[in-house]
Amino acid sequence: MAAIHPETELVPYLRGELSADDRARVGAHLEGCAQCRESAEASSAILSDLARAVDEVREPDWAEYRAELKRKMRAGQAPSAVIRGRWRWRRADVRLPVFGWPSMAISVAAVAVLAIALVMHRGAGGLQTPGVDQLELQQELSSTDVGLLANYHVVEHLDLLENYDVIEHLDELGLGDRQNHETPS
Amino acid sequence: MVESSDEELCRRIAARDADAFEVMVDRHQARAYRLASSILGNEADARDVSQDAFIRLYESAGRFDGRSRFSTWFYRILVNLCIDHQRRNRWWRRLAPLASAGGDDPDERALDPPSDEAGPESKAMLTQSISRLRPALEKLSPQQRAAVLLQTQEGFTSREIGEVLKCSENTARVHVHRGIAQLRKLLRNE
Repeated sequence: MAAIHPETELVPYLRGELSADDRARVGAHLEGCAQCRESAEASSAILSDLARAVDEVREPDWAEYRAELKRKMRAGQAPSAVIRGRWRWRRADVRLPVFGWPSMAISVAAVAVLAIALVMHRGAGGLQTPGVDQLELQQELSSTDVGLLANYHVVEHLDLLENYDVIEHLDELGLGDRQNHETPS
Repeated sequence: MVESSDEELCRRIAARDADAFEVMVDRHQARAYRLASSILGNEADARDVSQDAFIRLYESAGRFDGRSRFSTWFYRILVNLCIDHQRRNRWWRRLAPLASAGGDDPDERALDPPSDEAGPESKAMLTQSISRLRPALEKLSPQQRAAVLLQTQEGFTSREIGEVLKCSENTARVHVHRGIAQLRKLLRNE
């Protein structure tokens, strides 16, 4: 069975934070576990080094420190104003640009103006819409064209016919006339 | 004359007693500055942030309900300001070439348990000066660093560290354990 190492309890053990029962349990484990003993010793050394390191922090001039603190507190009408102002400035310092309502309104207005200008430009020189009279004329011409196309085989041989009077009175012609007409010499 | 307790001073500060605030600042300025300096690793930032903590104390003294020790309540303000300060500046540190050498978030990296340690480590070998500890400390996560420093420099128990960091006692122990394990690993690899 794998041993359960009381890793997170080693520092509390060293600092005397554990209850009597827990202290006895961790102590018993340490007696039989070289790895945890080594870990506890190493942790103890680092903890004492860190505690000593406090003395190496260079302290500021405390009179100047307090004077600066008073200046910061006097900077606004109330201390809260100092704090809020400072934090607002600091956040703004790293915040990405945010578009507020005025900027958004200007952007929307600009887009609207561009859209109107584009529509007007198309109306002036691009796609011209025909008037009502022009449309009727086009429809009339189209229907005429369709009628001609329906009798295209007749139209195709118009040049072979002498005139419309002959065609119109074709049944009144005599046989000889018809043969002369059909077989020109 | 009997000195006023921190809790009594805090009540007077809530009533906007300037003298009480002076006494409180005088009493805690050194500890607050040292802790901020240890967490932030920068004297100017430590000065600025610790002063911010006193301003915040002045502003919110009325909200101290006395359920915890004053020092726990005040150091929660201070540590939170330190952590916020570091988070705001993290993006910049990541751009710095020196910062990139050590990785990003130690919390995200797997930490070697004690059983993975290779070879014996004597106390003599592990005796470090602050000059060696400082770069290693800066590679810890803000929570780990605060937990380790609150324990070593302020003598806070795991429960008090949990109150400062707003986490359970067990989580505070994990922060301390991982912080120290990470320090050992970093110092061993130097």
